[in-house]
Amino acid sequence: MSARPSEVDRRVRALQWAIAALAVVFIGGIVTWIAHLIRTAWRLGDVPSASIGISIVAIPVFLVLLGVIVSVFWGLLRDGGSR
Amino acid sequence: MAVPDATLERDAALFAPIARTGRGFYLTVAVLGLAILWGAIAYWTQFNEGLGVTGLQQPVSWGFYVTNFVFFIGISHAGTLISAILRLSRAEWRRPITRMAEVITVMVLFIGAGQILVDLGRPDRLFNVIRYGRYQSPLLWDATSISAYLTASMFYLYLPLIPDIAILRDRLGKRRFLYSVLAMGWTGSAHQQKILNRAIAIMAVLVIPIAVSVHTVVSFVFSMTIQPAWHSSIFGPYFVAGAIFSGIAALIVAMAIVRRIYHLQAYLKPIHFRYLGHLLLVMTLLWFYLTFAEYLTGYYGNEPEEMKVFWSKFTGPFWPTFWAMLALNFVVPMAFLVNLRNHAVGKTVVASVAVVLGMWLERFNIVVPTLSNPRLPFPVTHYWPTWVEWGETAGSFGLFILLYVLFVKFFPIISIWEIQEGREAGLKDVEERLRTYLPDDTTPEPAHGRARVTT
Repeated sequence: MSARPSEVDRRVRALQWAIAALAVVFIGGIVTWIAHLIRTAWRLGDVPSASIGISIVAIPVFLVLLGVIVSVFWGLLRDGGSR
Repeated sequence: MAVPDATLERDAALFAPIARTGRGFYLTVAVLGLAILWGAIAYWTQFNEGLGVTGLQQPVSWGFYVTNFVFFIGISHAGTLISAILRLSRAEWRRPITRMAEVITVMVLFIGAGQILVDLGRPDRLFNVIRYGRYQSPLLWDATSISAYLTASMFYLYLPLIPDIAILRDRLGKRRFLYSVLAMGWTGSAHQQKILNRAIAIMAVLVIPIAVSVHTVVSFVFSMTIQPAWHSSIFGPYFVAGAIFSGIAALIVAMAIVRRIYHLQAYLKPIHFRYLGHLLLVMTLLWFYLTFAEYLTGYYGNEPEEMKVFWSKFTGPFWPTFWAMLALNFVVPMAFLVNLRNHAVGKTVVASVAVVLGMWLERFNIVVPTLSNPRLPFPVTHYWPTWVEWGETAGSFGLFILLYVLFVKFFPIISIWEIQEGREAGLKDVEERLRTYLPDDTTPEPAHGRARVTT
């Protein structure tokens, strides 16, 4: 039977998940921003093809980054216990 | 990646900068603080009174700030790109230098991107880019690719740092809470190692095209215009080559300083400087080749507007910066790097300091002479920075060095677990790899017994 995590351990754990969430929000924010620029260009008829063309490259890059980061944080935090 | 106690004792020098704080640290911080204070006062003056306090005026609307931006983004190629290439090519000599390089990347990217904010007379207008940015503008391509590079570089620095942070958490006895949080529950289990190694490998692959795209896109800010001496199809590769060139030089300078101050001669050996010196020599030649091609093409075309810029650099008001650039980027490195058998550290450091200065001048020579001699019928003007731009530049360099010093104070600047891995697995791995390069030991049977060689 494992000992209950101390208050410090719980705070450490909470901050670790907060860092992981911050990373997701940061990258998610950039992807949302790019999507917003496509939408704006589309709405205004302001050469949306340029926005779409660049986004086809940029968004997958950020999504791959997001995937790597989520998999690392999820894997480490799930495996690491309260250390 | 679980490091035994004996190894930690053996690598005590790597913990020393974190465990002990000498007077030199506070003195360094104080000096850098003064430079940053000058920068802050300069920026505050500019913020209150507008860009009129700078030497910027039409048509030279980009001066020191954009020069610094291109320079710092170029230096950022020191880290992630070089580190990723060495990691992927499994160059064993990379182990003590990769983190040093990666830290440079992250720190200078913040400083470089910040230059654009400083260059805006009204920084609040940055929000317009976020709300109404148009992807037709190469400036927005820049914002996107730099965001990708910064994000990738931060994680590429952080991921290999996790096992070392866990060592500090378990052994150092101070800042335990901070290290516990940042170690992300690292225990060194096989599962965690597998996750981390796979992530580092993916990031190493991902970061190379991102790094190349960043400086290519920075060059597009210039080459997509039809300004004389900017509208060039080789600007992309020219900028990328220049970035790697200045990045290697900055890395060598950082290595030499860290080695000297923290007594890391056992880790950063002359062989590391020699190998990087060879790379720098190759980049010197590549830079010179691209510079020659760029200027010869312009000269041969003899287009009047282009020639105004050309002669302003060769014999006009910009001749001191142009010829100093050539001397520092080509003559000095060639003189010092051709023979690195003796005094490799000193020679590479001299060449690298020259290249860092020379590449700043190169960025200046790209930005300012063209704007001073624009295609549109503006009167020819001469740009000279005021104390505000000098102050901001000093503050930027001071802030970069301060961030680097603080990193060294909190984290191992040489990867402890990678050094350990090199000792344990690297030697065996290199030997096995070497065997795969060599011809097989088994002698093939001669065909039909006729082709036997007799002695």
